[in-house]
Order: sequence, then structure tokens, then C-alpha cells
Amino acid sequence: MKKALALALLALLSSVANAEYRHVNMTVFGMDCAPCAHAIHVSMKGIKGVDTVNVDLNTGLVTISLVPGNTAGMHQFEEAVEKNGFTHKDTTVIVRGKLTGTATAPVLEVVGTSDHYSLTPSAQQPDLTALIGKLVEVNGLLPAAAKGKLPDLLRYKSITEAQ
Amino acid sequence: MKIILALACASALASPALAAGHGPVFGYATPVNSQGEFSFDTGLIGRHGSQGTALTESSQLGYGITPHITVTAVVPFTFGKASLPETRMAGGGEWSSSVAWRFQHSVTSVGRRIESTASLGLVVPGPQQDSGILASLHRAPGVAATLASGLASRSQYLWFGGGYTRFVEAHTDRRPDTISWSGIYGYRPPGLRRDVNHWDYRGFAELTGEHTGRVRSNGVLLPDSETTSLWLGPSILAILKDVAIEGGIQAPLYRDVSASSYGRESIRFAINFSYLKYSSHAY
Repeated sequence: MKKALALALLALLSSVANAEYRHVNMTVFGMDCAPCAHAIHVSMKGIKGVDTVNVDLNTGLVTISLVPGNTAGMHQFEEAVEKNGFTHKDTTVIVRGKLTGTATAPVLEVVGTSDHYSLTPSAQQPDLTALIGKLVEVNGLLPAAAKGKLPDLLRYKSITEAQ
Repeated sequence: MKIILALACASALASPALAAGHGPVFGYATPVNSQGEFSFDTGLIGRHGSQGTALTESSQLGYGITPHITVTAVVPFTFGKASLPETRMAGGGEWSSSVAWRFQHSVTSVGRRIESTASLGLVVPGPQQDSGILASLHRAPGVAATLASGLASRSQYLWFGGGYTRFVEAHTDRRPDTISWSGIYGYRPPGLRRDVNHWDYRGFAELTGEHTGRVRSNGVLLPDSETTSLWLGPSILAILKDVAIEGGIQAPLYRDVSASSYGRESIRFAINFSYLKYSSHAY
């Protein structure tokens, strides 16, 4: 009976939505050869929570998917690029976090990391009033920031309440 | 970090040309290791001339301290006997290591970068004796510096580089100063611009040159010991993820070398194996 309760509790907890990066697609400049791509692959796989990594040398696109419940931060992805001597440019993400701020100046807090972004729509501004204070899933673009700095703006294409 | 860098500089020795998995096999190039990356190279460099064949089996260990600073150590083993000029680009028996600093790094687009790398260090005599007119010299350490600059891209590579080595005098003997230079063009055909799971091939045309000064023996500068030569040849580099194999061959374009002192060097060849151990350390 206790075992069944524990399992039920575990199942309930696992179904609760987490704040986390789900997918990170970075454009990386400077990779010319297979060892470059392999170095990025190894570095990204070394980040706890990373599930799969794909590196396309011809487009410079590094596609990362992460496991549920991860606490990986954006600075880890950027440092993985920089330590190999390359430069990261724009990054598209699918990320879950708590929507704070106001409907006109929303902020996404990726709970479990220190990452937070001011949100701005890439197209028409939707009404976010109903989502403030809730866990949301955002699909958007992080413009490249200065070296060593994290972007503070997330241009979102879509924002929905996390299920 | 400053202390580590200072120690690295203090112990730095200049390395001969070894590919380290990214560049040409004879000439100078700009790539350095990633931060935390170990590179292991082992290769065979040969020189053949009218007065014999000299072979150098050279092993190199490199480590990336930062994304732009790499230290290397080289332990060679020589065999064969030949009377050939001093070289810093085609083997030799000196134990060495170097610190290389990629001081300029401009990443301009996907798959393309322009960069410059300098290295500085010392060269110390190995336990094996030279052959030819260098064999009778008392040997002493030297200092060496190199500079390379160029472009790396998915399709083409272009590097220019030069180096200078000067040895200390020992018991009124001194090995010749060496000035070396290289120009490298590399090309990867469109059909070979594949993903990381396939072998990555590229071909290089390697033009190298060396000028060695006069040999000082018993306080006397030996006549006809000064040399200048220019070499050209192809090399091919193949890489799969973290292993690389490279081979190349060169023939002389120009030789201003005393045949009585050194004979006629007619061919240089090299083969190199690399293993690159990347760091998965996450911050």
C-alpha cells in the first residue's frame, strides 16, 4: 500500500511542469572542421541535463535537447562554445519558466537557474494578463549578447501556459 | 592563472612542426587546443639525401590552458645517418615544448575565422648525437619563436608563418641560427564538407623554406656551412571526430647548399597520427 502511494506521489510530481530549457538551438561561428564539431558535441554533452546534441558544420547550427527536470543555465551553453574558441550568435529556445512583471513588461524567470529575460513579442503583442504568475512555455529567440554576457531579452514567437 | 602562464612561459620550448590534428604537417598554422583539451601526436619525419637518410620519430603532448593558449612538449627519437643541414621544420633530435598564444581571433561567419598565433620557447639537446658536420659540435639550448597568421574555413585554408631559432654557444661551438617560413593553401572539396560522423578530408599544398646560418666549431665559422632551401609538396589530412592521420611529401624547389658539406637533400616526407581528448567539463 505504501509502495503504491509512493509511486502515485512520484507520478504526480513528475507530471508537474518544471521551469527549464527544453530545446536550445545555437548558431556558432568559426567551426571549420570535424574536430571543431566534435569538441562542441563533447562540451555540450558534459552539461548536466543535456540529452542529445547535433552539430551541423555547414550551417553552424548546434541543436540541443534537454531532459525534463534539468537545471542547465544559458551561461553553460555559451561557455561550452567559448572554451573551444568559437563565437555564439543568435539562439532559439523553447523554455519553461514563471511569468512575472506586468502584462506590458513581462519577465520570464527560468526557476532553478539564475536566468531571467525581458520578453518582447516578435510579432503582434498578445494580452498576457491571464498568464502573469503562471508557469509558461516560451518559444523564442535570444539575440547574441556581448562576449561573457547573457542576453537579457527574449523575443518570443509563442507563449502558452505550461501543461 | 598568471602564475600558471608564467610557469608555462618559463618552461616553454619551441616545438617542431607537428600537425596536432588540424593543420599542415610541415608548415606553420594557427590552430590551438580548446580549453582543457589534450592532444597527442606521434609522427615520423624523414629526410633523404645523397649522404644518407635521417628519420625522426616525434611525439608531442599539447594542452589548452585557455581557448587561446596551448602548451606543448615534444620528445623526438632520431635514427638513420645523414649529413644534412640544421632544420626546425623537418624533424631533429631536440627535446622541446612551446607555449602558443592565439592573440588575434576574428570569427567572421559560419565556418570561417581569421586568426594569428605566436609561440615562444626553448630548445634543448636530446640525448642522441647528430650526424654529419653537426655531430662534432658541443650542443646547448636555444630559444625559438614562431608566428603564423591566416584563414580557416569550410572550403579553404590559407596560412603564412615564420620562425626563428637561435642556439647558445657551448665550448666555442654553436649550432646555426635558423630562419624558417611557410605558406600553406588548403582545400576541402564540396562533396567532402560532411558532418561530424564522417571522415573529414582536406588537402594542402605546403611551401616551406629554411635558411640556416654558419656553423661555429672551435670558435671558427665553418665555410660553406650556410644553407638556404625551399620545399614544395602536397599533404592530406583525414580526421574522424577525435583522431587524425596526415601524410605529406616535399621536393626541393631551390637549394643553396654546399654539396660537399651536406650532400644533396632530395626529399622530405612525414606521417602523423593525432588523438584529441576534449574536455567535457561544464561550468
